[in-house]
Amino acid sequence: MNLLWVVLLPLIGTLVPLFTERFGRNICTLSVALLPAWSLILVLMYAVDIFDGQAIRQTIEWIPAIGLDLSFRLDGLSLLFLLLILGIGLLVILYARYYLSAKDSMGHFYAYLILFMSAMVGIVISNNLIQLWMFWELTSISSFLLISFWSHKSEARKGARMALTVTGAGGLALLAGLLLIGNMVDSYDLDTVLASGDLIRSHAAYPVALVLVLLGAFTKSAQFPFHFWLPHAMSAPTPVSAYLHSATMVKAGIFLMARFYPALAGTDLWFMIVSLTGLITLLIGAYVALFKHDLKGLLAYSTISHLGLITLLLGLNSDLAAVAAVFHIINHAIFKASLFMAAGIIDHESGSRDMRKLNGLMKYMPYTATLAIVAALSMAGVPLLNGFLSKEMFFAETLNQSTLGSLSWMIPLLATVGAAFSVAYSLRFIHDVFFNGEPIDLPKTPKEPPRYMKVPVEILVGLCLLVGIFPAYVVGDLLHVASSAVLTHDVPVHSLAIWHGFNIPLFMSFLAMVGGATIYYNRRHLFQFQSQFDEPDAKHIFEGVVQSIVNASERIISALENGSLQRYIFLLLLFTLVMAGLPLLDLVQNTGSRPQIPLDGVTVTGAVLLVLSAIATVIWYRRRFLALIFLSVVGLMVSLIFAKFSAPDLALTQLSVEIVTIILLLLALFFLPQSTQKESTNRRLSGDLLISGLLGCVIGTICFAMLTTPLDTISDFFLANSKTGGGGTNVVNVILVDFRGFDTLGEITVLGIAALGIFKLIAKMRIYMPVRDDDGRAWSNDPHPMMLEMVSQSLLPLAILVSVYIFLRGHNVPGGGFIAGLITAVAIIQQYIAHGVQWIKPRIKIDYQWLIAGGILIATTTGLGSWIFDKPFLSTWFDHFNLPWIGEFELASAMLFDLGVYLTVVGSVMLILANLGKLTTSERFEMKEND
Amino acid sequence: MEFWIELVVSVFLVVGAVFVLIGSLGLAKLPDFYTRLHGPTKATTLGMGCLLAASVILVTYQQGYLSLHELLITLFLLITAPVTAHMLAKTAMHHNLEILDKTSNKALTKRARDRINP
Repeated sequence: MNLLWVVLLPLIGTLVPLFTERFGRNICTLSVALLPAWSLILVLMYAVDIFDGQAIRQTIEWIPAIGLDLSFRLDGLSLLFLLLILGIGLLVILYARYYLSAKDSMGHFYAYLILFMSAMVGIVISNNLIQLWMFWELTSISSFLLISFWSHKSEARKGARMALTVTGAGGLALLAGLLLIGNMVDSYDLDTVLASGDLIRSHAAYPVALVLVLLGAFTKSAQFPFHFWLPHAMSAPTPVSAYLHSATMVKAGIFLMARFYPALAGTDLWFMIVSLTGLITLLIGAYVALFKHDLKGLLAYSTISHLGLITLLLGLNSDLAAVAAVFHIINHAIFKASLFMAAGIIDHESGSRDMRKLNGLMKYMPYTATLAIVAALSMAGVPLLNGFLSKEMFFAETLNQSTLGSLSWMIPLLATVGAAFSVAYSLRFIHDVFFNGEPIDLPKTPKEPPRYMKVPVEILVGLCLLVGIFPAYVVGDLLHVASSAVLTHDVPVHSLAIWHGFNIPLFMSFLAMVGGATIYYNRRHLFQFQSQFDEPDAKHIFEGVVQSIVNASERIISALENGSLQRYIFLLLLFTLVMAGLPLLDLVQNTGSRPQIPLDGVTVTGAVLLVLSAIATVIWYRRRFLALIFLSVVGLMVSLIFAKFSAPDLALTQLSVEIVTIILLLLALFFLPQSTQKESTNRRLSGDLLISGLLGCVIGTICFAMLTTPLDTISDFFLANSKTGGGGTNVVNVILVDFRGFDTLGEITVLGIAALGIFKLIAKMRIYMPVRDDDGRAWSNDPHPMMLEMVSQSLLPLAILVSVYIFLRGHNVPGGGFIAGLITAVAIIQQYIAHGVQWIKPRIKIDYQWLIAGGILIATTTGLGSWIFDKPFLSTWFDHFNLPWIGEFELASAMLFDLGVYLTVVGSVMLILANLGKLTTSERFEMKEND
Repeated sequence: MEFWIELVVSVFLVVGAVFVLIGSLGLAKLPDFYTRLHGPTKATTLGMGCLLAASVILVTYQQGYLSLHELLITLFLLITAPVTAHMLAKTAMHHNLEILDKTSNKALTKRARDRINP
């Protein structure tokens, strides 16, 4: 057995509903529940060890090079959360089966839900900070998908976006905080972090780390002032609310605080931030909940208020308060999940969630009503129910602190006020919905829901009662191990009894009950008082803020990049000038120790031609055709330079690339005006001239300095090992197909993708096709002269022969797949030029896309082939053979790899040029993407 | 090196160089496009042929085996030069470039231009 399975099983389960959806709702639900249930059983099997006081750890190497492990840890706190996540998750799966209508895609819903479940499971059992954070972000993303499940509704989309923005931003803050903590203790291992609490608390960066981590926790757990996203997330389907907003997502923040309690808590800063935030959230949530007419809105604010209560408890810096917090996590999850489900049933069966319309439902759905009333009473904190117990503990703890000095008495007072409002809104939930007269024009007549839709609510309400009446038996042990995991030392003595005798907490409870009833009785005055204030709509404010951020970013972007290419290149060159020029100022001597090669006439002539044609290109750049001709002279000279300085492979490649490029540019020029207007002012031109001139000087100096300085490069290694290691004497080719074969594989893949991308771009392009040139002449009547046709056609076999020759000899003398591919492509393009697309179409029926795919496939398969012989990817093999008549020859697996390169190059070049060429003819009207 | 080989190679080199020079001069000096076309396509091609023949003889003598690479270059030159000349002349006619007055059969250019490829 393996802890990894606990998180892996639900993660695999994400895919299950997508496959089983077609077999009907029941089978789909069952199959979905299977893997989480299995995972739950695994957890329960571990539980025995946990109750013995052990924590289970497991580490699997993930990326050992950077010290990143998949690391899991199961202790009391994780166990508690796992039971909540998986247990309530299973109930929600059952509930959702009846809640979702036939229109909703059940498969998608379940997939998102299970993805979310796996992410939550991942958070609670992670034993590595970064891993924990990764799952944390996954919950943000999957909850976004869940909240926006009804994506046709605008408010669902907006609510989901808001939740994602707030929790995502919090997640980034959390990451920063976790990285800080990781730096402080020099480890991302959770065990180490929790054990070095003193180190962290005394560290100078502690306040920053604390605030960042708390930002993450507060945004997730909807603490003031980030609470606004939670009510808007209520546009999600109710099973989502029952799951995310009672037991899991919003509890993730609480979990985080509880998890890091040993490392971060115990300082005044922690107390100030956490307890005050909790207190404010508790009060605001409880107060606003009373005025919500929407059933789920009321529950949402009540959730905020209860989360505030737990946060307040965690902030009190006392051991017993932490125990109370853990206890309330359990209780709140149970009663709030059941209340959300009950609200969903009411919505489902009556068609409305508006409490002004929903009245007297006791008559129509007595069974559901009873369940909901019990849960609501638990929320109010009525004795014999679980909510009462944790609330008593909460009151007792508020009395036992003195951190606010002489103002400490305010905390119990405000806590009682909050509790009174909590009683009031619970009463409203019960009285308004189930009693208080008759329903007012509901869309449908309310009735009891299907039998099994009530089962999850029954189970949860049953738990409310069980925990409330026999607390020590039902949750005593669980509470004990969970609390000890939070405190990391012995749990203080606490009693889970219902009756503690007459004491102040009981009195506070009594006050809250009476106060709540009074508030509810006089609610009309309160409603009137509240209606004087405009209620700010968080959605508008949020959208406004987002919009203004977007506007500001757009202003900055448009100031920086205004779309002018001249400007971009100007800035780029200026930057290069500064970066490359400044260091040169420190260089005293730029002539190195290498002897210079003596000049000869041929070299000088070549250099002069190169310079002159480059200058001519610039001078005549506005006459595009002329500039192109000069550019081709530059290319030719460059390839001659390669040939002179012993780089025949480069020379061959440059020569063939040059041809392909010129044809490509000619094709592109066809669609453009033949000359360019004068666009820049003379002043600007002289500025540009200055910059490019300076840059030329800088680059020239660098080149000179580099060429005259002797350098040790890795070339020697390649020269020494090319024959023995790669079996070829052409080092360039051996580097391409052997030493750096993986690079080449990546490059041909990129080449193929680029070709496909260009094809996709031009496939449906309908650009203006000029019928005359600039002087008004129509195109020639004879675009394919017979002489050209005949000669090109008869040269084709010869050209292919040359490319085969170049290909075969490539391993030992200049050549290889890349050059051969270019030569073949040029030979085929020559046919296109001579004969036209129409003639080629029935004759060359090669699908260039397939050629590319085939080439990459061959290259990859060759690489994979070395695995059969237990060698690393792309190991090469070569040997010498003897055949009669032919003599000795060499076979190398690199040749097969080179064949892949060859095919990809031919396919890519042809795909681009042939299709661009097609655009210039009437054939383009028949071009399709699947052509 | 034997004298007669030296002699043959020298003759080929000098003749070739003269032809290349004449071709280049023609390109620079002749009065209209069509006459200028003769220089590089005919004279220079012939000159190049001579130079390559010199190379064949020299390399064969020095290396001791028959070197025919140069013949391949000559072959390609002989194939491409006329086609290039043809294409250039066609383009020039299409562009209606000025023709020397004393050219005979000037009227045929219009027919050639308007001809529609079968």
